[in-house]
Amino acid sequence: MQSLTVPGTLDSLKPIADFVLAAAAAVDLDKKTAYKLRLAIDEIATNIILHGYEEAGLEGEVQLSAVIDDQKLEISLEDQAVPYDPLQTEAVEEEELQRPLAERRMGGLGVYLAIQGVDQFRYERVGDRNRNIFVMNRPQAAVFQNGDRS
Amino acid sequence: MTFNATTIIADKTATITLVGELDAASASAFRTEVEKAAAANPEHLVLQMSGLEFMASAGLRVLIFAKQKMGANVDIYIVAPQEMVLETLQKTGFDQSVIIVDSYEPAVTA
Repeated sequence: MQSLTVPGTLDSLKPIADFVLAAAAAVDLDKKTAYKLRLAIDEIATNIILHGYEEAGLEGEVQLSAVIDDQKLEISLEDQAVPYDPLQTEAVEEEELQRPLAERRMGGLGVYLAIQGVDQFRYERVGDRNRNIFVMNRPQAAVFQNGDRS
Repeated sequence: MTFNATTIIADKTATITLVGELDAASASAFRTEVEKAAAANPEHLVLQMSGLEFMASAGLRVLIFAKQKMGANVDIYIVAPQEMVLETLQKTGFDQSVIIVDSYEPAVTA
């Protein structure tokens, strides 16, 4: 398991991206899939930093860990900021995406891009920590699984 | 790669060239350029994006800001976005409110 701990500040977005892209490269995710995973984690990390820590007047860290098995890459983000479940809050509605920009609200776009950009997204509250889990299937595993089931 | 945004204003057109990675840490630099462009009351806002390698929702929020600040009658052109930036614009419906082109030729004035 690879892990990284960074301060809960916007300067950490770059090392977070580097960590995610290195993990994606280690399992040979293609460029588009790696981009989507990086975008998803960037969006949720941004929410943790801006809303979970800064707006709440808190300081803390963001911990990343990457676990690889035959079928998938799973990256977890953990923080001790205010409880925040992206699946329960602010998700932008399809209807909102049809609206002209002149009438748009600013919120919810990041969570939308994060959740629909990965193969699986889960949120867990563990003690005083938020844990956001992002899963991308490995390309070889998908082929093997399909063959196995037919 | 770090983010860089530069603005040129000429003939009622404001052109902002975006290079690098646009996330929540760099969005304020883009917003500052949009404010600079808006102050000139342009008829068109042209965003050169061929060098923009990453764009998070923080960048989308600056586009909303630009549209709302400049007014609905100022056309926003997005020039030559890379594949994944384009996909984000399409997924979020932003492609309906901006004009996406491969290249932008300023109108010839007599």
